[in-house]
Amino acid sequence: MSSLNASLASALSGLSADQGAIATTTNNVANVNTPGYSRQVPVLVSSDPVELDPLTIGTGVTLQSIESIRDPLLEAQIQQQSQGQGQYSTLASALQQTQVSFTSSTGDIGTEISNFFDSVNQLSTNPSDLSLRQAVLTAAGNLATSFNNTANTLTQQQTSLDLNLVQTVGQINQLSGQIAQLNNQISNLTNLGESAGSFIDQRQQAIDQLSSLVNVSVIPSDNSLTLTTGNGSPLVVGQQAFQLQTQVEPSGLHDITSQGNDITSQITSGQLGGTLQARDQQIAALKGQLDTLAAGLATAVNTVQANGFDLNGVAGTNLFNPPPAGVTGAAASLSVAITNPSLIAASSDGTAGSNGNAQALYALSGQGIIAGQSPADYYSGVVFNVGNDASNASAEQSASALVLQQLNDQRSSVSGVSLDEEAANLVQYQNAYNASAQVITTINDLLYTTINMTTLTG
Amino acid sequence: MRVNPLPNPDLLTAIEHTQQEVQTDELQISSGLSVNVPSDDPAAAALLAQNADQISQTDQFQRSLGSVQGEIQNADSSLNSVITSLQQAITLGTEGANGTVNDADRESIAVQVQGIQSQLLSLANLSYQGNYVFSGTATQTTPYVLDANSSSGVLYQGNTGVNSITLGDNYTQQTNLPGSQIFSAPGGDVFQSIQDLILGLQSGNTSSIGAAVTEISNASDHVNAQAVFYGNALNQLTSQSTYLSTESTQLSQQENTEGAADLPAVISNLTTAQTSLQATLEAIAQTSQTNLFSFLR
Repeated sequence: MSSLNASLASALSGLSADQGAIATTTNNVANVNTPGYSRQVPVLVSSDPVELDPLTIGTGVTLQSIESIRDPLLEAQIQQQSQGQGQYSTLASALQQTQVSFTSSTGDIGTEISNFFDSVNQLSTNPSDLSLRQAVLTAAGNLATSFNNTANTLTQQQTSLDLNLVQTVGQINQLSGQIAQLNNQISNLTNLGESAGSFIDQRQQAIDQLSSLVNVSVIPSDNSLTLTTGNGSPLVVGQQAFQLQTQVEPSGLHDITSQGNDITSQITSGQLGGTLQARDQQIAALKGQLDTLAAGLATAVNTVQANGFDLNGVAGTNLFNPPPAGVTGAAASLSVAITNPSLIAASSDGTAGSNGNAQALYALSGQGIIAGQSPADYYSGVVFNVGNDASNASAEQSASALVLQQLNDQRSSVSGVSLDEEAANLVQYQNAYNASAQVITTINDLLYTTINMTTLTG
Repeated sequence: MRVNPLPNPDLLTAIEHTQQEVQTDELQISSGLSVNVPSDDPAAAALLAQNADQISQTDQFQRSLGSVQGEIQNADSSLNSVITSLQQAITLGTEGANGTVNDADRESIAVQVQGIQSQLLSLANLSYQGNYVFSGTATQTTPYVLDANSSSGVLYQGNTGVNSITLGDNYTQQTNLPGSQIFSAPGGDVFQSIQDLILGLQSGNTSSIGAAVTEISNASDHVNAQAVFYGNALNQLTSQSTYLSTESTQLSQQENTEGAADLPAVISNLTTAQTSLQATLEAIAQTSQTNLFSFLR
């Protein structure tokens, strides 16, 4: 049988449900600026009715749960895109620095190559002139210095990228630890049947950060998840985190290991992937090209020197110290072998006035002595490669930033807190609360009436 | 569909992009260059690197050309003086061959011819910037020295080497002729013919004097023919210099085309970017001011 007490209970359920809803709204408003927060909505269901044959009477409302609104598919896409964004922004900023050395200026390699051959051409006009000979030596020295400086700048950049790599690995380990801990909390709460929404938000935020650092795969399992990188090396399995390690190689640069296995080559995206790509591919390739250029030039010049005679009629000796075998390091170590300007082998017949060999030396400027190209042409190819790499990385970075932005907008449109919406909800819940309270007052009046009625008749 | 309630990241990105554009435009305006780093336009940057090399090379060709031009001019005018001296010798020889001239006069003519001989020696030993011009590539060796044992009275100490110099992409200029080829050629030997004239005059043998005059005339013709080399070289240098100037201008124009900023376009871009930046800023200021909470009392 329905009773006033039952109605009172029903009204009370309304009060408490509305309080819960108002609390949810308050929490949403409080977290409007929290990164990664997904808005929550109260899930209200009507309480199980009681059957009073022939009637079925409702018993009020229950706040069943508080649900976080999120789209798992979008979040997976954001992770994916964060990896590319991390990779290309790191690569782009590294290559932006690299290309500065190849910007045409007074001291770049291209200018110094031109200056060297110009000085040789000038020597041809008066091969016995000591000041012109000294000018050739000076130009050769400047050329060597320019190669040294550029190669050293590239090496320094590799070293600082290497430092970044070690720091990034540290960040990855920290995030893995956080995620493992969150997995633990989420699974505990879920097992108790409670809502773990805000922990899931924090975990998602951590996974996004991790994704911008390294390529990760997310494998969800019951109440928990597994994160792997590379070809399946574990980062987080349930409540356990696996640390990545770094190991110094003979080159002085670090490799990345997981459980004792070298996984460096498997890191393909994220900031770590971008750092590795810049350090081991783009900049390494550039150093290789400079080495080829320096070694080719030094060898060709020395060969011509050996065919001629110096100012004293003695057979020519090396102008540049011979490049190391296998050419690696040739640019960094290029140096002039002679300090006496009379040792330049300008003469082809042994007399001081012959310029035949200086002419042969000058002719190198137009010969395909570096991989079939003239030195200046080869260098311009290097400039193209540097510019192209940097420009591609920037374009990729802009494109992935745009996509990531759109995905984040979409996530925000699903999960973001709207203050307008919260204000409207607040009004709605407040009104409902007021109404329930009014109902209680009314029932109170009715009960009072009933009690008084009993008194009158008694 | 639910609208993204948090537009700030979008607006900030828009500001960032616009500011980047403003920065790029300002850099182009201040440097005057459209390619400030290779990534601005990799292909143009590579072309500019080649272009810079060619400009440097062309400027050097001009400088080298100026250096050898001086030497060749000196050589040319020295040979012209040689021809003038030989003409004087011919005149004196013709006078000495005349039967009416007495021995004493011949003796004094011989002294004059000896003067010409030493003049010729000094012309053949011309040096330019510390280098002997007519000693082949042995430019530190005096080409001709007096030698009593030689029938011509002099000895050639230079060699037969020649120097050439590259002064253009496809232009190499030979810069000297060895002295032996100019002054000591068989059938046109300058010093031999002068020596013969002196001996003829001293002996008073008019037929020897006449033969010597013919020899000198042949030698003069020979030197004249050799001087053509230097004259031609000077002409070629002049036209090459003109060509190099034209090339230099073209290369600068090309550099301009590839690398100079299109200022009107850049400035117009800059204005647009600044306007759009202003608009974005105002949009942020306005949208962030109100929400429903402001109206609830």
